[in-house]
Amino acid sequence: MTAEAMKFLAIAITMLAVMPSAIGEGLVVSHAVDGIARNPDVYSKLRTTMILGCSLVETTAIYALLIAILLIFVAK
Amino acid sequence: MDIVAQLKSTELAGGVFTSMLVMLIMIILAIYIGIRAHFHNPLKKPKGMLLVAEIGVTFFENFAEGLLGKRFRMLGGYLMAIGVYLFLAFIFGLTGLPSPMTTLSVPLSLGLSTFILIHATAIKYNKIRYFKRYVEPLPLFLPINLISMWAPLLSLTLRLFGNALSGFVIMNIVYFGLQNLSAAVFASLEASMGSWNEVFFAPFVAWILHLYFDLFSGFIQTTVFLSLTTIYVGQEAPEEYLD
Repeated sequence: MTAEAMKFLAIAITMLAVMPSAIGEGLVVSHAVDGIARNPDVYSKLRTTMILGCSLVETTAIYALLIAILLIFVAK
Repeated sequence: MDIVAQLKSTELAGGVFTSMLVMLIMIILAIYIGIRAHFHNPLKKPKGMLLVAEIGVTFFENFAEGLLGKRFRMLGGYLMAIGVYLFLAFIFGLTGLPSPMTTLSVPLSLGLSTFILIHATAIKYNKIRYFKRYVEPLPLFLPINLISMWAPLLSLTLRLFGNALSGFVIMNIVYFGLQNLSAAVFASLEASMGSWNEVFFAPFVAWILHLYFDLFSGFIQTTVFLSLTTIYVGQEAPEEYLD
């Protein structure tokens, strides 16, 4: 395999980290919806917390994306 | 004159210049509101910008007080400065100039200021016992503790940088693709318009993505940064004093 191909393989492996992050985000939203279905009054409070939690979980995916971008543009 | 020539000769990343522009906007706003507040009759209702500023100050002070209790009410000033700067910096990408957040040194300095605030709070409340945390539970853990000390700084910095940079790169890819698509569809216009046949699709598609990557993402990241700052600072204060 050439070095170029190895680089793109490395990028693909890096982006695997997005998968568990997506699962985690789905869990956050599913539990939030459970909570709202049980008690619709807390909707406005839960929404803020849910978006905050979502973006915290998303951070892992953003790190992976950042490393992938760095690999594309910086790695030789 | 000398300063202008010096600025032109220095090689700074574009983000640093836009960061200076954002700071200039903030300084002008702050001076204007300060003058308005100084000459304002406190018995009358505030109007316009002054009203917005007062609502903002109250909001951020209540935000700090709600999460940490009354003695951290003064944290509202720091939170408001950082929050306004962050949001302006994120939506600065709407002007077409590079957002300050896409240069690593800008989010790094923001993260560093929060990092210093965290450790200053820890030293203020723990005094000499602050240094005990590095040798816990055993002196053997000193190197590990010294490394894990930098984790909040890294996480705060890379969260902002990664978010802004990924949005910036994705927007550039979208613009590039739309340019080529437009040039391919309107290839017959090239004789009369030159390279201007590349501009037909981007205005109809790009604004939706700008809405997400600049406005929504910027707002969310500002909220997350402020919440994390408050939570990290609150962690350092001993709990028995929390009211």
